[in-house]
Amino acid sequence: MKVSLFLTCLADVVYPASVGQSTVEVLERLGCEVDFPKKQTCCGQPAFNSGFHRESKEVAQHMIKTFEHAEYVVSPSGSCVSMLKEYPHLFADDPDWADRASQLADKSYELTQFIVEVLKVEDVGAELEANVTYHTSCHMTRLLGVRDAPMKLLANVKGLKFTELPNKQQCCGFGGTFSVKMVPISEQMVNEKVEHIEETNADVLIGADLGCLMNIGGRIERQGKPVKVMHIAEVLNSQGS
Amino acid sequence: MGVRIGSEKFFDRVDKGINNEFMRKAVVEAQTRLEGRKTKTQEEMGNWEDWRDLSEEIRQHTLDNLDFYLEQFAENVAEQGGHVFFAESAEEANDYITNVVKKKNAKNIIKSKSMVTEEIGMNEALEETGCNVVESDLGEWILQLDDHDPPSHIVVPALHKNKEQIRETFHEKRQYSNSSDPNELALFAREQLRKDFLSAEVGITGCNFAVAESGSVSLVTNEGNARLATTLPETQITVMGMERIVPTWKELDILVSMLCRSAVGQKLTSYITGLTAVKEDGDVDGPEEFHVVIVDNGRSKILGTKYQSALQCIRCAACINVCPVYRHVGGHSYGSIYPGPIGAVLTPLLDGYEDHKELPYASSLCAACTEACPVKIPLHELLVEHRKDIVEKTGKIGFAEKMAMKGYAKAASNPNLYKMGTNMAPSYIKSIAKSEEDGKGKGVGPVKLWTNIRDLPESDGNSFRKWFENRSKGGDQ
Amino acid sequence: MKQGTIHNKDRFLNKVADRLNRKRITEEVQLPTWSKQPQYEVFDGLSQDELLDQFVLQCDAIHTNVIVTEADKLNDDFDKVIQDMGGGSIVHWDDPRFESFGLDSALKKQQEQGTDVHCWNYQLGEANIKKAEQANIGITFSDMTLTESGTVVLFSDKGKGRSVSLLPQRYVAIIPKSTLVPRMTQAAEKIHEIAKEQGRMPSCINFISGPSNSADIELRLVVGVHGPVQATYIVVDDK
Repeated sequence: MKVSLFLTCLADVVYPASVGQSTVEVLERLGCEVDFPKKQTCCGQPAFNSGFHRESKEVAQHMIKTFEHAEYVVSPSGSCVSMLKEYPHLFADDPDWADRASQLADKSYELTQFIVEVLKVEDVGAELEANVTYHTSCHMTRLLGVRDAPMKLLANVKGLKFTELPNKQQCCGFGGTFSVKMVPISEQMVNEKVEHIEETNADVLIGADLGCLMNIGGRIERQGKPVKVMHIAEVLNSQGS
Repeated sequence: MGVRIGSEKFFDRVDKGINNEFMRKAVVEAQTRLEGRKTKTQEEMGNWEDWRDLSEEIRQHTLDNLDFYLEQFAENVAEQGGHVFFAESAEEANDYITNVVKKKNAKNIIKSKSMVTEEIGMNEALEETGCNVVESDLGEWILQLDDHDPPSHIVVPALHKNKEQIRETFHEKRQYSNSSDPNELALFAREQLRKDFLSAEVGITGCNFAVAESGSVSLVTNEGNARLATTLPETQITVMGMERIVPTWKELDILVSMLCRSAVGQKLTSYITGLTAVKEDGDVDGPEEFHVVIVDNGRSKILGTKYQSALQCIRCAACINVCPVYRHVGGHSYGSIYPGPIGAVLTPLLDGYEDHKELPYASSLCAACTEACPVKIPLHELLVEHRKDIVEKTGKIGFAEKMAMKGYAKAASNPNLYKMGTNMAPSYIKSIAKSEEDGKGKGVGPVKLWTNIRDLPESDGNSFRKWFENRSKGGDQ
Repeated sequence: MKQGTIHNKDRFLNKVADRLNRKRITEEVQLPTWSKQPQYEVFDGLSQDELLDQFVLQCDAIHTNVIVTEADKLNDDFDKVIQDMGGGSIVHWDDPRFESFGLDSALKKQQEQGTDVHCWNYQLGEANIKKAEQANIGITFSDMTLTESGTVVLFSDKGKGRSVSLLPQRYVAIIPKSTLVPRMTQAAEKIHEIAKEQGRMPSCINFISGPSNSADIELRLVVGVHGPVQATYIVVDDK
């Protein structure tokens, strides 16, 4: 199966290579042929959520063109995929682009969603000895509607000791530009999230959205807490020690 | 009072909220309990999504045909001896109400809880004419006694107060001398307010839903105060927002069921009262004179726009009870009688952006509100629409943000520019990733705001692209 | 009855229509067939006995005592309830069902034992309200009873004062078992039929689910605020 990777700007620019690398390796292990369209940039969400819809359309058009050839688009981010799904609405008054946008939206999947729903795989053969908890990101669960896929995959990772995160449904306070526009409120939200993570005694916080992980992880680092943050792709790519 | 509360700046209000420890504990507890109860009833129903779909359809149909249903309602009220006044503005509504009260030579007015009367500032208007207006909902009465402290939640208005503060208020204003046990406090309120109920000449209520087919108004309460206010006084005035109407009793059933479940997790509250105009011949209790005031006050501006779904709201506060922002800042931070997500959507629509331009941004767009809403208002999407209108129509966006967004769009739609960015960003990020000892952020603009409270990940220089390219050339990592 | 007045209607409604980008609606609007109708699924097909079981469960959740009895034991159970509530003074509806269920003799007995019993009498006007305000116990029948929510539905009438279920300290509802229906849907349908017929609606329809209560202080439940502080239902088999 041919898969085009949409890495997302955070994984591309801000994070080290391992999230993208793990995504590619897991997909390849499951028999996919992975292609990386080099012209890809960002989903356009920062502009969209800030109300700059004209600007986000420019970005969206670029992304639509970049992935037009793809059979499937897979991305290690629930939030960014939910933005791709927003494109058809964004071009509601422009039938040609709306049509092209729909084609992209229809073939786009978040990584765990793709593995479980399309590849029909629930055990990727990973192994990781760790006490973990999992942050369910808002856009992935509420906008994209992906709730079970990451849980199913994590349940089959050997060595994981899983504790559910209290108040897991609560936003971590990232919210894109919200995290810098409303710093005092965002701070309270992420503080509460970190408290709940500590309650689980987990050594590792797993998530499927780098925005949330950058926020929670950044706060954990700042507070000097001994919790490591991992993207779910990295967990699924772990092969034991 | 009006929609707006107070004159403090948004971030000052937020600061106050964040630093109010009691309030925050109370809000967390309230959210946990109210949301838990709602979730439980939802699960019991099993087909919650069907109920939501039905409720949304009913609300949409009613709004689309609003003129018809309001006319049918008005005619049915008049046919059964009631009077109807259509008020386009708060002033028109208050003028009519004060006139009715004057004509009755009434001085004592008992009120049951109503958001729309707060919105139009009715109490102040009546008090200016020398009337004594008493709020009878326990929470509202507490706030009224406490020098008109504004409500912080649309269902539990005194949520931000603890029982000691309430005891203190009762003591100071009404020489209360018992304990701060809620049972004793409530008993005291019962005794005090009974006198007011018995002496009131006019009872004023809000309206949860009016029923067009019969000219009835329905009131949903637990305390029984709305029943008292409509049973004892000779004159009843009901004030309703113009969107608070259903076609028939069959639709009333659905929306009342959703309201009770979503607001407090009850199947029905203790009292659902359906009142139709004046009392019948031979009835002893109930009003001899009945007026209903149907208020626009900015609502019609919302009709026919992309925001129309905001008028589907049934004032259950489910969105408030799940909102992580409300959780940490409390109701007063919104500076509006309508707090939380629905407040952030509705307040700028009713009262303009000028005083409320931060509200659409006071959301992480986590969509918990949208998911909770029993009538399926896409609240977080409406907040984005507000942001869009602020950008495109008001010019209330700073130059720096505008330039940043234009720059972002250029870079993210042009692979060469983007590449330049990705080449430069990692080393920049590396240089500011960790804060200095004093905990202050590094960098400029949004980066500094970010690093004020958080570190950044340590990037190692658009390494994925290099890795991938190297591999496809046959190289191994 | 004197016809009421309507002010400012056309200006107001024209604006509404205008905002909705169309002309005022002049023809009757037909209600659509809603795509989902989950309300009919609740307790669908349950017998009266099964409904009663569910009803009793729900009453527990709303802090309401419920006594299930047979017609021939009704008087004894009624006496017990009045006694448990401390007797004192009673106000009740002027409702033929008191006689048909034989409760008139129970009320007479109460009177003989010194209880002040007042039957709502519209000809006495305001005096009824004073009586109700001072009464310890208010008693009504239920006109319809909603299983799901533990609710008694009361239609006002000249013999059926609103105050009886509201002003006394305590409230007793006599519920003929045959009045049990699954939920508010069935009551709403009946009221819808009444509204469709020409003529006057009952001026007040109350759906009462247990005693009055409030959670306005620190979200702690206080039972008994402005309405009765205690409620008891007596369900009597009337088959």
